Amino acid sequence: MTAIRKGYSALLYAMAFIAGATLVWLMVSVILSVMMRNFGLQPFAWLFTSAEYGLFYMTMLGAPWLVREKGHVHIELVTSALSEFPRRIVSRAVALACIAVCIILAWKGAELFLTNIERGDVDTRAYYYPRWLLTVCFPLSFGLMAIEFMRFVFGSELMHTGEAGIHE
Amino acid sequence: MEWYEALLLLLGTIVFLMALGMPVALAFLAANIIGAWVFMGGDRGVGQLLNNGLGALTKYALVPIPLFLLMGEIFFHTGLGGRMFNAIDRLLGRLPGRLSYVTVLGGTGFSTLSGSSMGSTALLGSLMVPEMNRRGYKSHMSIGPILGTGGLAIIIPPSALAVLLATLAQIDVGALLIAGVIPGLILASFYIGTIWLQTKIDPDAAPAYDVPPMTFGQKTLLLMRDVVPMVGVMVVIVALMINGFVTPSEAAAFGALGVLILAAVFRCLTWDALRRSINGALRVTLMAYLIVFGSATFSQLLAFSGASRGLVSWATSFELAPLAMLLVMFAVLLLLGMFMEQISMMLLTVPIFFPLAQTLGFDPVWFGLIMLLALEISFTTPPFGLLLFVMKGVSPPGTTMREIYTSAFPFIGCSLLLVALLIAFPKLALWLPYQ
Amino acid sequence: EDRISAVHAFPETLIYTKSFLSFVDKVNEAGKGVVQIDVRGGPEAIGMFQQPDAVRDGVVDMVYTPGSFYGGALPEKDAMVASNLTAVETRENGGIELIDQIHQEKMGLKYLGWFDSGVCYNLWTRDEPSFDDAGNLEVEGLKLRGNNVYNAFFTNYLGAQVIDLPTGEVYSALQRGVVDATGWTQIGLIDLKWNEFLNYRIEPCFFSTDLGVIVNLEKWNSLSDESKKILQDVAIQHEKDSVEALRAKRDEDFAALEASGMKVVTLEGEAKANYLAAAREKTWERMKGLMADQPGGTDNYDRLIEHFYDLDAN
Ligand code: NA
Ligand code: NA
Repeated sequence: MTAIRKGYSALLYAMAFIAGATLVWLMVSVILSVMMRNFGLQPFAWLFTSAEYGLFYMTMLGAPWLVREKGHVHIELVTSALSEFPRRIVSRAVALACIAVCIILAWKGAELFLTNIERGDVDTRAYYYPRWLLTVCFPLSFGLMAIEFMRFVFGSELMHTGEAGIHE
Repeated sequence: MEWYEALLLLLGTIVFLMALGMPVALAFLAANIIGAWVFMGGDRGVGQLLNNGLGALTKYALVPIPLFLLMGEIFFHTGLGGRMFNAIDRLLGRLPGRLSYVTVLGGTGFSTLSGSSMGSTALLGSLMVPEMNRRGYKSHMSIGPILGTGGLAIIIPPSALAVLLATLAQIDVGALLIAGVIPGLILASFYIGTIWLQTKIDPDAAPAYDVPPMTFGQKTLLLMRDVVPMVGVMVVIVALMINGFVTPSEAAAFGALGVLILAAVFRCLTWDALRRSINGALRVTLMAYLIVFGSATFSQLLAFSGASRGLVSWATSFELAPLAMLLVMFAVLLLLGMFMEQISMMLLTVPIFFPLAQTLGFDPVWFGLIMLLALEISFTTPPFGLLLFVMKGVSPPGTTMREIYTSAFPFIGCSLLLVALLIAFPKLALWLPYQ
Repeated sequence: EDRISAVHAFPETLIYTKSFLSFVDKVNEAGKGVVQIDVRGGPEAIGMFQQPDAVRDGVVDMVYTPGSFYGGALPEKDAMVASNLTAVETRENGGIELIDQIHQEKMGLKYLGWFDSGVCYNLWTRDEPSFDDAGNLEVEGLKLRGNNVYNAFFTNYLGAQVIDLPTGEVYSALQRGVVDATGWTQIGLIDLKWNEFLNYRIEPCFFSTDLGVIVNLEKWNSLSDESKKILQDVAIQHEKDSVEALRAKRDEDFAALEASGMKVVTLEGEAKANYLAAAREKTWERMKGLMADQPGGTDNYDRLIEHFYDLDAN
């Protein structure tokens, strides 16, 4: 059990690490392509394309980690007006609704991923890039987000503090 | 389903879920699932939603925002920002609220560089807010001006959004860009007036500490060592842009590189500072981009279901006097802007508003500028303006919703005042382009 | 009454969209009580590049889009891109029927009509183009903006330094000198205001627009015969009408551009022939390569070229 838990955590942080590395790559790719262009070379088209795809990979791979870090911004309005006990109920119910959303998207994302493989769909930009390499992020990311939201349903920690305001 | 039922369903869902405390991005996604199910033919619609989100995120125009954030975070975490603000603090002497003025001036300068209000909010926010907070400024003295100057980015040229609007509306790009210059400067001066008023009303809002007097030589040294190199990075980037070395979207990468080099030169570039900078930039980017992922599709659902078009046609169907009609269009933009992404709004409203503006006898350039201002204001309008969330992301922990909202209001008021002035004196916008 | 939902790839203000909307009006007029098209909007309703998947999946019934936006699934669209014929001739010679059949087999889509054809592409430059001794265009030092429609031609043949930019960024890129040349259709340059920076048009023109109406096949099959007939008849008529209308618009645009100082530079003789041959052959090459990787392979390759290119025309 702890082995699974450890492996899972490692996966989550590895994904977040890739997201951070992608952010750095955005900078590097832009600088490289500008330099090449201004030194009269043809910038590799993949510098441009990798930055565009990078934005997507970064967002998807980092999102579950951000759930764990409570970094997805939310507004406390109702929960701040409630007393302790009903607030706990509402907070856990909201987290449960988040799980539902993530499960639906993970499930539909998995279908999309399989359809992309079956049809051999490609994304046509500078290159013809297999679409499933992108859509595979959906089941992975939303699946892990669902698991992370589970902490706020069953765990000791709540998502909402009860203080009015936007929270991270 | 009638358009108002569709509108009610979509907006009702999102407002309800957000009020309940669902994370903003998740609330958008939940509303999208319901909307896709109802309007896009059941579960196929949900697959479409994911495809849309993928498309909305893989756009080069989104590249600068994380890089501006990275630039600001490196500035802060390496201590370069602290150095510069210390110096400015000492150079400006006793002027109350001096860093707020610096924000407006710097922000105005920066918005000439950046065409993206999200980018400049991200940069200024990560640059200024933590420092000002540390120096005892009340948060509205930092958050307010930054939200305001983020808005200047759209009307002061260069502005990607202005070019797009001019192209869609088939008006002269150059004229629309130039039309924004004087109103942009007026708006910046309103901001300065607002800060002055705020420090008068509440002297504690900005710390008025004494600084030791310095000789001219000391001042010059401080200026050359701690201010000029940092400002120099910005100047170099602007120069690179003007001579065509980089496009505005690419400028951010060089900004981040410049600050990295500077930090290395000042020997304050540590692995720890770098790690914390990337971490900070990543958090805000992820938070904002998952909202972009959700809200792009939400905008599309508003359009696809006929809800937003229905609203626009309904609101413009009344036979009103030109001024009243203008206010109706303005109100529609503000309302839609709370929920829709800016480019989608332009695509939707331009084909309806511009012909209407023409029959009402409005100058298209003047009307285009009013429309840009509406788009901008809606970007910072509570409760859902995206800039507010970006701001929250870069603010110190413990900054509350109410603080961010109340900080935004006086500066939104300035923009509204500018709109009123433009209506009363159209020459403010039109004098320069028609020279 | 049959109802068909539709979206279009480009903003409403663009000329091609207006052409599609006039087709819709004609259908709705002819189809009163039988079939009606309900336009849901453009890229603000469904993203430009997501529209082909949306019609495939039945999220929307009809889409007006360039074939190039789904070229990954249907490389055969390059036959239209490289074409020097219009929808009128290819409708007559069976080319469009062939394209329709390929759409049905590969994507589950009905190809209803090829609109706004007969408009080709030019290279537009800021500075006067130069030529070598043989009269070939010299691209050395040209900062040419490209995208995946032209690049097979630009990079593989011309060997140009191509800078990929989205359409929305081209204006500011021209303004700052990031690029100083671009390909674009004969019309539309004025609408994009690029003529503020571009001063030369290079003839001959190459390629063709590949805008078409695609309909979800399940939806198409569910329509009454009467609806199908109205849609198909109006589409065939609009194929003709749009060729005429856009040619008129092109002449208008060219006149306006010339009046504001746009100069025309023309390749001659063998240089011209080589230029045109490269445009089509590099594009066909790409098509063939991609077709080979798909089920069905290159079976249709020769027929496509035969139907969509008239070698005697130039
Ligand atoms: Na700007
Ligand atoms: Na908005």
